[in-house]
Amino acid sequence: MGKENPAEKSLNLIRGRLCDPTFVFRPLSSSSESNYSKLKFIVSNSITEGCNNSILLLGPRGSGKSAVLDLVVSDTLEEYPDSVSVIKLNGLLHSDDNCAFKEIARQLCMEHHLLFSKMASFDENSQFIIAMLRECGLAHKTIIFVLDEFDMFAQGKQRLLYSLLDAMQSVTSQAVVIGISSRLDADQLLEKRVRSRFSHRKILFLPPSREEIESLLEHLFSLPADSSFPIGYISQFSEKIKSITSDTRFKDMLRTFLNANSTVNSLVKFIFRAVSFMNMESGLLSLENFKAALSSMQRQPKLEAIRDCSVLELYLLVCMRRLEVKEQSSYNFISVMKEYKTIHDSFQTSDYYAQNVCLRAFEHLREREVISYAETRGQTQTGEYRPMKLLISASELHQGMRSHACCPAILVKLLDH
Amino acid sequence: MPPREDSSKVARRSTRFSSSSAAVENPEPNESHPPTIDDLTFGGESFPLDALLSDFPGRRSQILDLIRLMGPLDSPTLPVIVYGDASTGKTSLVLQVLRHLNRPFVYSSCRACYNPRVLFESILNQLLLHSKSSSNGYSSAKRCDKPSDFVNLLRQSLGNVMETLDSRSNGKPVGKMVYLVVDHLDLIKEWDKGAVILQFLFNLYSLLKMPQLGVILISGLPPDVYYSNMGYTDPIPLYFPEYSEDDLRQIFLKNQTNRKLYSAFLDVVLRPFSRVTRRVDELSTTFSSLFRKYCEPLDDLGVSPNEDLKRRLYSHLKPLLAPCLNEIFRVSSRSHDDERRQKKASYSSENREEVGVLDFHMSTSAKFLLIAAFLASRNPATLDASMFDSTGGMDNRKRKRKASEKSMEKKEIAEQEAVMKGPGSFPLERLLAIFQCIASVGDTSFGEEEEEEEGEATGYDREKTNLMSDILLQVSSLCDANLIIKSGSCPLEGTSRYRSMVSEDLALKVGKSLSFPLAKYLYRR
Repeated sequence: MGKENPAEKSLNLIRGRLCDPTFVFRPLSSSSESNYSKLKFIVSNSITEGCNNSILLLGPRGSGKSAVLDLVVSDTLEEYPDSVSVIKLNGLLHSDDNCAFKEIARQLCMEHHLLFSKMASFDENSQFIIAMLRECGLAHKTIIFVLDEFDMFAQGKQRLLYSLLDAMQSVTSQAVVIGISSRLDADQLLEKRVRSRFSHRKILFLPPSREEIESLLEHLFSLPADSSFPIGYISQFSEKIKSITSDTRFKDMLRTFLNANSTVNSLVKFIFRAVSFMNMESGLLSLENFKAALSSMQRQPKLEAIRDCSVLELYLLVCMRRLEVKEQSSYNFISVMKEYKTIHDSFQTSDYYAQNVCLRAFEHLREREVISYAETRGQTQTGEYRPMKLLISASELHQGMRSHACCPAILVKLLDH
Repeated sequence: MPPREDSSKVARRSTRFSSSSAAVENPEPNESHPPTIDDLTFGGESFPLDALLSDFPGRRSQILDLIRLMGPLDSPTLPVIVYGDASTGKTSLVLQVLRHLNRPFVYSSCRACYNPRVLFESILNQLLLHSKSSSNGYSSAKRCDKPSDFVNLLRQSLGNVMETLDSRSNGKPVGKMVYLVVDHLDLIKEWDKGAVILQFLFNLYSLLKMPQLGVILISGLPPDVYYSNMGYTDPIPLYFPEYSEDDLRQIFLKNQTNRKLYSAFLDVVLRPFSRVTRRVDELSTTFSSLFRKYCEPLDDLGVSPNEDLKRRLYSHLKPLLAPCLNEIFRVSSRSHDDERRQKKASYSSENREEVGVLDFHMSTSAKFLLIAAFLASRNPATLDASMFDSTGGMDNRKRKRKASEKSMEKKEIAEQEAVMKGPGSFPLERLLAIFQCIASVGDTSFGEEEEEEEGEATGYDREKTNLMSDILLQVSSLCDANLIIKSGSCPLEGTSRYRSMVSEDLALKVGKSLSFPLAKYLYRR
């Protein structure tokens, strides 16, 4: 294990960096204008002043909200090791109030080396939490509540939010509630009694600027200049990276990618894909790697689904499309079969199959979600009679059939009229 | 699962399914043998890349992609979603790549694990090296039905596994990563609160924040069907396209003893059949029995065919092809039928006759009931009186009215509506009334009903009482067989209504077997 080749080592290093969000967001948080600095200021202020606070971090998925928060939390823990404790909840896991209280109690017990009882009731847990908040306030210890997927906590009765924010109204407690949400209107979801107790402080996360992306790329691809890599390899590698990033074709690719997905995490995913294509013999990246990554990330699932269809399935799709063009308000398998038969009668196609075979093809299409039942309820009828609808547009069908390997020419013609 | 897998692999898979811990060395699961960390890998002899590539024809780029995404030993990886149609080799390829790389992994299929609790517990059992057995009452290692508990337990057990993997010194290097493979992701959509579980699985990697866990999701549906209004950061997609005709040829040629003969066979069948379906599992059931037919004229199966022989074999197979294309899953029983018929000195060209033969047994009264239900579903109730009056049928009436343009249009719309509505529903009384009418017609040979009217009536009276109890039993058994279904009760009368589920073809067949003139009683617009 001792002597890996430098290619594998650098690949491992870069992959490790890409999979570690705190590493990715470290360089983006250096400036004083960054969200990191803002959040850090608020949190450390409330720790030193001993006051309560609540903040919302808002931004699209993958914009680094929780990564930045993690950075802030770990830095504050380093700065004030004795006067901070962190409770982390996630709306996906703890949106149920009962479960959330239990989890808070569990984490508080872990933190303060108390015995946690699984059997404790909701009331006991909430009393315990209030008591702990008071105790911590008296000991000048700040509790940071991190509520990931904040909007999920705003469903239902919002008892958790209310009791946390209500407890913070008292002078003795000392807590910071940080909500993270991808919904920009997350604070509008709150009930009146909760909203009035919430400080409407929001931090927005915006897509990275071009300079930030450049510095991020540099940060990701710089190999450490210690003795672990051969000297020649490091210079070769960084030269190659420089030549790629300065290439206009690379810039174009980056722009097309960012036009579709502008968040940092999707960029990281793109780079990860490109890095995984790295040539293991030379250990160097090339422009082709990025090109391959771009084409594998830009998928068109509907077109793929049509290309996967057999000829018979294409016939059925075309029939359904023709029925739609005829402005038939709704149709089912039987009417599709009728249309199929008229096509066969007028064109004498070679692909005319029995009804059960068509039904199987029909079911395949449904399994693949190219078509679906128009309404989910009313299942008294068997599948043949239930109204159907296409889940693909006419242009997608057109494009897919033109790129299909063995689509009969007559079908494309039938689709047009 | 495609049937082309070699048997050793199937055995391995089944042991992984049933108990996560059957050791590789001893074939029968030994209860006293405690499961070890090695059971998370495939173990056994090394599995080179060349063998892997030749095992999966037409999947070269996918294999290389997956290996690249998983990266070298000990390198963290972002979650991957493997998607593609059924029977394109997703599951077996992922498992075989893990075998090739010799990495520890946990496999759970949502087909076997039918709810969140079973899924979570099966993953934890495998990680905790717990095997269900009679000694522990087939219970799981941990009870866990909430995602929140699952995350805590998963973190804990992964930590344990990492420790043991770290302290391992002997044997081949397996790295410090564990891969979690969740198969049949699309089934979760149907679960109760499935959307939340899906969100959870997609976010599992970022929730855990443990780079030692690689997540591989396998789905039959493309990732875009999972989009919800919550949104998620989607995993890296890896697409498995449907096999092309050349790929199919290579797949079917694998494991064939006489490749030349089989290749000649494929020349004949592959093109027409791949127009209907390109799924390997469906094609292979058809092909296996067709190939047996194809070989019938041959004495020696090892022969390598020349042009002449090929032509002869083709002409032997040709009459079978067209009916086969119009059948699903029935080839084997058909060939069986053929053999029987050959004894009767007839041959398969008499296909049309076979239509009259039902392939299941039914009592005569059940058949009549089926027809009655079919008629009640298709015909409007207002016509019953004229259909089943003593003169029988409405063939003697001719509608003279000339169809105007407008009425034609109306007719078309009505027809469309009827197609959309499907078979109508009817109360039990109507079914019984029609049944009695047609049973009486069926009993008397058709056309002589005038003379036998009186005699018929007496016999009919006599029969009536014992008929009724029997018939109600038959109705319920037809309901059980799903030939008739009970649909919602009528809001006014409060009685339940029935609906016939039988296709016209089947009804005509049943009619023919009773020599009952069904077509005459069908109302056609």
